[in-house]
Amino acid sequence: MADKILEIRHLSKAFGAHQVLRDIDFSVGKGDVTSIIGASGSGKSTLLRCINLLETPTSGEILYHGQNVTAPGVNAARYRSHVGMVFQSFNLFNNMTVLENCLVGQVKVLKKSKAQALEDARRYLNQVGMTPYLNAKPRQISGGQKQRVAIARALAMEPEVLLFDEPTSALDPEMVGEVLDVMKALAAQGMTMLVVTHEMAFARDVSTRVVYMNQGVICEDGTPEQVLGNPQKPETRDFLSRFRSN
Amino acid sequence: MDKFVKLIQDVEVLWSKYHPMYLNGVKNTLILALVATVIGFLIGLVCGVLNTIPCAKHDPAPKRVFLKLVRGLIRVYVEVFRGTPMVLQAVFIFYGLPYFTDGAVAFRGNAGMWLASIIIVSINTGAYMAESVRGGIISVDPGQTEGAKAIGMTHVQTMLHVILPQALRNILPQIGNNFIINLKDTSVMFIISFTEFFAAHKYIVGVNNMYFPSATVEMIGYLTMTLVASFLLRLVERMMDGADNYELVQEDSLTMTAGTYNHPHRGTPFDERSKESRERVRQGLKFGRNRGER
Repeated sequence: MADKILEIRHLSKAFGAHQVLRDIDFSVGKGDVTSIIGASGSGKSTLLRCINLLETPTSGEILYHGQNVTAPGVNAARYRSHVGMVFQSFNLFNNMTVLENCLVGQVKVLKKSKAQALEDARRYLNQVGMTPYLNAKPRQISGGQKQRVAIARALAMEPEVLLFDEPTSALDPEMVGEVLDVMKALAAQGMTMLVVTHEMAFARDVSTRVVYMNQGVICEDGTPEQVLGNPQKPETRDFLSRFRSN
Repeated sequence: MDKFVKLIQDVEVLWSKYHPMYLNGVKNTLILALVATVIGFLIGLVCGVLNTIPCAKHDPAPKRVFLKLVRGLIRVYVEVFRGTPMVLQAVFIFYGLPYFTDGAVAFRGNAGMWLASIIIVSINTGAYMAESVRGGIISVDPGQTEGAKAIGMTHVQTMLHVILPQALRNILPQIGNNFIINLKDTSVMFIISFTEFFAAHKYIVGVNNMYFPSATVEMIGYLTMTLVASFLLRLVERMMDGADNYELVQEDSLTMTAGTYNHPHRGTPFDERSKESRERVRQGLKFGRNRGER
């Protein structure tokens, strides 16, 4: 295998007695665009949150370039700055403008100079088409625009992997397109992405790999043609047929 | 009615004779309330921030023990100072210190009185503010913390740049509340002979027995102070919220922005319609297509 950025080994997560993830093995190579699909409650989002250490795994290892980041004494903040995350609910900083949202991480975490950070923030905001709203506060822009700013904020940290946790699920239908367009452009540039999504078209057309999760385990894993076009497991077929009928 | 005339006359008499004393009282009250509210807020801020440091099961044991201890101490502080009257706290501290040190350490003279008053009111305010700040911090959407963590911010950075600015905006009305309460409650400091506004009243009525007129002056004085204070606080709140609108730097290519439709030669769609209808009317008049004519 070429350059593996992330390797997940025997990852399990339980909330009390409720076992959400069971013995997940999974890896992310450079340039992969992986879509994680599955029914609600199948553990997709929890897997993503565990990868970013927003949830502490109950057991198992997460290796980042071969280094275990779940070990005690690892600087979680430092690791997170290399792994970007885009949330379903945007989570833009409400007390800052669009531009400041993209600056704060660069200046405070990456310790870039103000001038350099400003230049980069403008470039990334331009890439997601949000240049007109540099001075707007999050409460003044639409959901789709917020999500585009959130993507620019994550990009400004120059992450190696970008995690997307259902980025379009909280959006009105007419705004889904603008966010997916930005994500497609990123995939085309070779950004390594891990996307939890319900957008089957995105999974089929953009991703290089599709993972189907069911009840806390990875049920099927392969190219979009394999998993979506010719699913092997009955659960996968079941899930996909429900999707088509909707 | 003549009683009111008499009251006004009495107030005028009191004011012309004692206004330097009243004004000095107002000045001392304002300074004490302001300084004590600021210090009390800082105490509350520190307590609130310490109280909300996350503590997980997998953290090292010394950190967990330390945090437990700190939380316990803050809890005791808040309960004791919130649960006893400030008059009594003043007496307790002012007379307790010389009692325990056999008079070696005491709040002496004018400076000592100021110091004692500021300490007591600050500590008291701090006990209330500790809970307000804690409430302000936990009321900020957890998504904000996650967003900050996700770009690699540490807990301290998250607090400083993301959570506290929002929490403080949310508790600003409570800070103002505390300031107004302090304006009034500093009046109990007369017990350690601090000469604030109410102490001026005590002194003046002791000389001339004009209880009711002097109380009227006090009432008007306190109400004026609190009204001005609430007005200023509203102003500060509005300033903190910033402008409601923002400037577009250029057009957004990805979305249709409703409501910003504009064309240099056309004006808004509403202008367009009115211009069209005006034109229609003019044409109608010109070519004489009136009713009944065919």
